[in-house]
Amino acid sequence: MKRLLTLAFLLTLACAVASAQTRGGQARAGGAAQDTLIRNATVLTASHGALPATDVLIRNGKIVAVGQNLKAPEGARVVDATGKFVSPGIIDPHSHSMMDGSVNECTKSVTSMANTRDILNPTAIDIYRELAGGTTAALLLHGSCNSIGGQSTTVKLKWGHPAADYPVPGAPPGIKFALGENPKRSNFNVPGLQGRYPATRMGVEETIRDAFMRARDYRADWDDYRARTARGEKNLIPPRRDLELEPLVEVLEGKRYVHSHCYRADEILMLMNLADEFGFKIRTLQHVLEGYKVASEIAKHGAMGSTFTDFWGYKLEAYDAIPYNAAIMTRHGIVTTVNSDSDERARRLNIEAAKTMRYGGLTEEEALRLVTLNPAIQLGIDNRTGSIDVGKDADIVVWSAHPLSVYSHPELTFVDGELLFDRQADIARRPALEAERKQLEQAEANRAPAQGGTPPRAPGAIRRAYADDDDKQDVEDNQR
Amino acid sequence: MRHLRKKLLPALLVALALSALGFAATAGAQRRRGGGADVATTDANAGVNVYAITNARIVTVSGATIERGTVVIRDGLIAAVGANVAAPPDARPIDGTGLTVYPGLIDASSTLGIPRPTPSPGAAGAAGGFAGLFGQSAPSATSPNSTQLPGLQPEILASDILRPGGPEIEAARNAGITSAQTVPRGNVFLGQSAVINLAGDSPQAMIVRSPVALYIGLNPIGGGQYPGSLMGVFSSVRQMLLDARRYREANEIYEHNPRGLRRPEQDKSLAALLPVLDRRMPVVMQADREREIERALDLAQEFNLQMIINGGQESDRVAARLKALNVPVLLSLNFPRRTAAASSEADPEPLRVLRERVEAQKTAGRLAAAGVRFAFQSGGMTTMSDFLANAARAVEGGLARDEAVRALTLRPAEILGVSNQLGSIEVGKIANLTVTRGDLLARDRRITQVFIDGRQIELRPAATSTGGANASGTWSLTINLAGSGNEKQEFGVTLTLQQQGERLSGSLQGQLGSGTIANGTISGGDVNFTVPITLTAPASQTTDAIFSGTVAGGEMRGTVQIVGRGSGSFVGTRAGAQPPPTGTTPQGGTTTPAGGQPPAGTRPQPAGAATSLSGTWALTSSFGGQQITSTLTLEQQGDRLSGRVESRFGTGEITDGSVTGNTFRFSTNATFGGQTISLTYEGTVSGNQMSGNVTTPRGSIPFSGTRNP
Repeated sequence: MKRLLTLAFLLTLACAVASAQTRGGQARAGGAAQDTLIRNATVLTASHGALPATDVLIRNGKIVAVGQNLKAPEGARVVDATGKFVSPGIIDPHSHSMMDGSVNECTKSVTSMANTRDILNPTAIDIYRELAGGTTAALLLHGSCNSIGGQSTTVKLKWGHPAADYPVPGAPPGIKFALGENPKRSNFNVPGLQGRYPATRMGVEETIRDAFMRARDYRADWDDYRARTARGEKNLIPPRRDLELEPLVEVLEGKRYVHSHCYRADEILMLMNLADEFGFKIRTLQHVLEGYKVASEIAKHGAMGSTFTDFWGYKLEAYDAIPYNAAIMTRHGIVTTVNSDSDERARRLNIEAAKTMRYGGLTEEEALRLVTLNPAIQLGIDNRTGSIDVGKDADIVVWSAHPLSVYSHPELTFVDGELLFDRQADIARRPALEAERKQLEQAEANRAPAQGGTPPRAPGAIRRAYADDDDKQDVEDNQR
Repeated sequence: MRHLRKKLLPALLVALALSALGFAATAGAQRRRGGGADVATTDANAGVNVYAITNARIVTVSGATIERGTVVIRDGLIAAVGANVAAPPDARPIDGTGLTVYPGLIDASSTLGIPRPTPSPGAAGAAGGFAGLFGQSAPSATSPNSTQLPGLQPEILASDILRPGGPEIEAARNAGITSAQTVPRGNVFLGQSAVINLAGDSPQAMIVRSPVALYIGLNPIGGGQYPGSLMGVFSSVRQMLLDARRYREANEIYEHNPRGLRRPEQDKSLAALLPVLDRRMPVVMQADREREIERALDLAQEFNLQMIINGGQESDRVAARLKALNVPVLLSLNFPRRTAAASSEADPEPLRVLRERVEAQKTAGRLAAAGVRFAFQSGGMTTMSDFLANAARAVEGGLARDEAVRALTLRPAEILGVSNQLGSIEVGKIANLTVTRGDLLARDRRITQVFIDGRQIELRPAATSTGGANASGTWSLTINLAGSGNEKQEFGVTLTLQQQGERLSGSLQGQLGSGTIANGTISGGDVNFTVPITLTAPASQTTDAIFSGTVAGGEMRGTVQIVGRGSGSFVGTRAGAQPPPTGTTPQGGTTTPAGGQPPAGTRPQPAGAATSLSGTWALTSSFGGQQITSTLTLEQQGDRLSGRVESRFGTGEITDGSVTGNTFRFSTNATFGGQTISLTYEGTVSGNQMSGNVTTPRGSIPFSGTRNP
């Protein structure tokens, strides 16, 4: 009987989901955030250890209680998680998901005016796939084509919501920098064609220094104008507002985080020295494959590191890497994370984190923090997410097994208390989607005009194996 | 009165038929003269400026429909309309029994009358050099002494570059369209639009209102110039609007008291944005997807712009916000549809794509239900008969019939600020009328008469408007594409075309896979067709290639838009001889045997005799943003070519030169920036003209040349 009821419930759910999909083009799996009680799970808090046989209560999108024998409020969804694991939602601190068009504004060496916020695509299927891998938030970065790239956006993966709901309220703004082969275009040169300046690491440093000198002058111009206006001077034409320099002034004033793509130890030191010269801090070093060589210096500067666990060798500057990098940086007191830089890897960051237990001997909680609490710290959103603590946003994953095991997979993913991935519901609605497809294919607009075959359509958004974040081409959503 | 009319009618019909024969011949003669002027109005009607359409059903749109009444046209205006209006004695009478008179249809957004950027070798240079070849569509005009790059010049006026006549305007009129908003082609700031009537011998005579709206597009300008991405497009638009604000402020301060101030630099690009910032001119932004519309509305709110959404495929999903902000939509009738058959082993199309195609025709009904103002536009469709057919589909999709008629007439006039002149049948308005037999939105409707500015327009049968060009045959095409990568970007394909009237069918085979042509049309030598292709780099991907070009004799050239990838160019030659001109379509797409009519304008070649290429040729091509001229000296012996290429990149001796029929190829070296690179020229020769492509390490660029006398 119980089984029958469950089946009926699932069918109803499937129908509801299918009809919601007809217009939205995507599932809004849980509707508005419903209060939820997760019962009897092993709770991996990421902040204060693992709690066996523990309940987590979610109300109004927040974690309101973590403990034993909690009572479910009226109307709350109750999840029996006996034998299952609960972790904070995974945060990917280096992502290029859900961006329309190119992730690079590649035409200049400094494109700080470009803003990833302008090109968010909330219908990108990668979002849903990442939720299915337990990822609930991400730092969307501009590519690494230029020394100073565009502005980043910190988002929660609020699948089914409009783009405006994605940016995390109050998250500190960020900007992408890049060093080495990508900004100097060494792998993109064409004989006979004029390349873009800079062509050397010296030139990369110069473009960054030049940009900050201009930003200083710009700030001085505005300070001067404001001072003269305050003195009562009339008939003044204000300085031009410069969208390129404004974000750099924010960096100088410590109001905007710098997330810098880098590989080699020498360029890492260069950037930190340059930042010291201008009086700001590098927030994160991205990739930072040689971070283990200069871990003490990174710790001294106060930068954090976001690396790959075991992905290297795809270009010359990425040769001298070791899988112990994350562990060594962690042991030097650097807040360290592992990131995806890939719509694919973003679905299994728990496994990337787990590898650091084998390579470097991080503890279970240290490993889990690499993809939960530590990225929240790097993005400046640890006050609201990244661990299972009362008062934080209910960004929570229920796993079938321990998330640091290859045998586990997410069963439920909550973002702000809203159930946005439900493995059983996903499976249950597939027949309805298949039926809808059959029906749609009968429609006049979907009928092929003529006979003749086209070759199989390859999946969009394929990235070449040797590239990092420079060359992604998102063809999937430009299909017209 | 009544029996008199009965007697008069047959005589009148005979007279009309005779005059029709007469003017068809005259018009044909005028076309053959090939003048630039629009010859739409007939000689038989020349001088007639008073018409009375009697006994017709009159859909006034502004008021109640008159089931049986008269419309009087005098001096280009509607002089009288009503059930009891008598036809004036000096009017040319038109018996409207069984006919319905509508206000002339308005295409709310188009590029009618705007010249296409020529895909000649020179144009690539103007678009930003080498990479410009691979970039987005080039602007249709550039503004002299502008502070901005082409593609970023809001000061461009459609009214300045408008040209009367042409096959597109004629196709629109044949579809019942009498007026249109037209806008320059471009990238980011496309320029300012005009509302035009689709008849008139001069641009000045066509313009109803100019400027109307500023168009903002979302196409990176390419060619290595900023902005090169969608992100950059938004930041560049934002910066220019901020700059324009400051320009306004600085000029106000300076005009108030110039003493002690450096004078602000004059900047016509920024000045052109001031009406937009003052909300005296609306901004039209291309936005189809929900998120694109949200972005446009975000921008409108950020700068307090008066926004109009163009495209609007998913605008129903944003209806509440559109209504709240009072933002109208120019809704495209170019509904998405499947353009290619899929083979059995193909991946299924995404469900989202299938849904979108089905949902497109429901958008209009939902907008109407939500109270969002909208007008229909053609959305760049290549087959204009889809215009009314898809409006009828919108009615099937839930739009009230009278709302559909309104969205084709009065609503666009209101949105574009011309409702005092156009959009309804009211006394004093411009006499633009579309007359049909059968309801406008019925499938069996036929457009019988079109009046523009009070003059009756000749509706030419579709078959004659191809200008005699016939695209049937087998073509060898070279397609040049590229993106940001270093992949090989030149592709050779074989195109088989069959032409029937204005329709083109056939297939494409070669390095881009094989596919069947969809929605192919030919009109006045302009060919348009879509075909699925397969690109292999950087990822294997099947997508639609939209070809748009011209056929002249045995040569075809134009631009190709790869969906999701940008654009390129193509050039091709027809294998074998030219088939006979339109009218006798060869069966099965095979070319007629040698000895057929030689194409006009090319020198007839004796069959089998190879052309001699010997001589000195002046070549032009475009490389790295610069127009490059070079001198080619050729010596042909049998099928061997020797000689040299001289340019400012040095002199290169020709190696591996060969001639086959009228095609040739050779290789040479040139020095760029201290490096020697190999160049391979391939092309065709026709008399003293040659054209083809140079293959470089980066890709391929077209060249053309003439033989020095």
